[in-house]
Amino acid sequence: MSAHDWYVENRSAFVSRSLERDEERTFIEHLMRCDECAREVARLEGDLAWLPMGVAPVAPKPGFARRIAGEILDRPRGWRRRLPALAAAAAVLLALGLGFHNGRERRELSRLLATRESRLTALEDTLSVLRQARQVVQTNVSMPGGGGGGAHQGGLLIFQDGSSHRWTVIVHGLPPAPDGNVYQFWFITRTGMVRSVEVNADSARPAFMTVPMPSPAIPVMGAALTMESMVNRSGEPAGVELAHVMF
Amino acid sequence: MRSRALDKDAGSAPQGRAGRPALALKEESSLRRRLRARDEQALVELIDAASPWLLGLTQGMLRDPDEAEEVVLEVFQVAWERVGSLGDEDEALLPWLFRIARNRAIDRLRRRSRLRLKHARAGAFGAIAPADAGATGFDESARPGWHVHESVHAALAALPDEQRQAVQLAYFQGLTHAEIARQLGIPMGTVKTRLRLAFDKLRVALAPIKDWVL
Repeated sequence: MSAHDWYVENRSAFVSRSLERDEERTFIEHLMRCDECAREVARLEGDLAWLPMGVAPVAPKPGFARRIAGEILDRPRGWRRRLPALAAAAAVLLALGLGFHNGRERRELSRLLATRESRLTALEDTLSVLRQARQVVQTNVSMPGGGGGGAHQGGLLIFQDGSSHRWTVIVHGLPPAPDGNVYQFWFITRTGMVRSVEVNADSARPAFMTVPMPSPAIPVMGAALTMESMVNRSGEPAGVELAHVMF
Repeated sequence: MRSRALDKDAGSAPQGRAGRPALALKEESSLRRRLRARDEQALVELIDAASPWLLGLTQGMLRDPDEAEEVVLEVFQVAWERVGSLGDEDEALLPWLFRIARNRAIDRLRRRSRLRLKHARAGAFGAIAPADAGATGFDESARPGWHVHESVHAALAALPDEQRQAVQLAYFQGLTHAEIARQLGIPMGTVKTRLRLAFDKLRVALAPIKDWVL
């Protein structure tokens, strides 16, 4: 039995996590250098992807989704202290809520408050990227073939926050993508293009996105905005390049 | 509510029955796009759709509703942080969340010093109703994805008892080969064989549902 046979024999044990800790570590190291085993393990994981659904669902406690979302979105707590307006708004809403005797209206008000809190938290989070940005880059976006044969002229603005490893990207002045197409934002890295988010452009207002950067191990050298066919889900751009910026 | 997890006596459902997926492919694609664009409402929708299944899995594994909730919170925190790197070609959202949840639950089980308790609980898995179902009137069969559960349950129920037991202990309880061998009093080679045979059968049985989405 060769050394590799052991890995072949234990692929399903690795996927089910029934190897001992040392064996598991050895297997992970092997996967980094053995394409065949990596491919087979991925295939096995894919085949068994739905196996956990053999367990029946359990009813969450009332308000569970909202509480979990609140805890996740509520991370930058320091900001909250600096925004007394939030507390004031919450107090007003709560005071109004107390004035209502109808239970349905109270529940509706609580829901509204939770929605506004989560929106405000998301806004604080976005603002934190803008405030902490170490570099701000701006470039024009040209989209040929606009109405009447002219070209749409928009803009792309990037705020880079190295500490949270995120960018806030603002795209403005572009019309909605034609049917069957999407605006696609890309990172330009040393190892090639990395697909980021699709941009929902609307010339009436800017599109505002906070996106995580690729792994810190992959240095980002620039960014691009392209118009892609919706059917292109590959890792490489195939459509028209609308903007391109290098740092 | 009853727990059907790996409980052969709970009866088998017609395999491959057509049913309503939790989300259509287009909806999952849209949800994925919105999550990547940091749409917090999309996060709430994801939690709403996935948490009953994640709670079922983690409560079944950990036998502790509070700890299960902690794991589910961790799962969504990780998902919210990493969803930006999840491409459209990558696995469906719910299996991805399951993988995170199962790994976290297994890590916790292994951190527990009371190994004996873990083994005792492992034996009871599937027979104990989940503690504190939370809301009353929760109709589990009305949950989106219930038909997937039925198919998986049927596939598990079709396994010979000793193979199903091996899957239960390894996949759903995180016991190692050596721990299973000790608990069942059988050689480790027999454990490996049972697991390999069981997974081969499950791969075939689950093939029709492989490409379903959340």
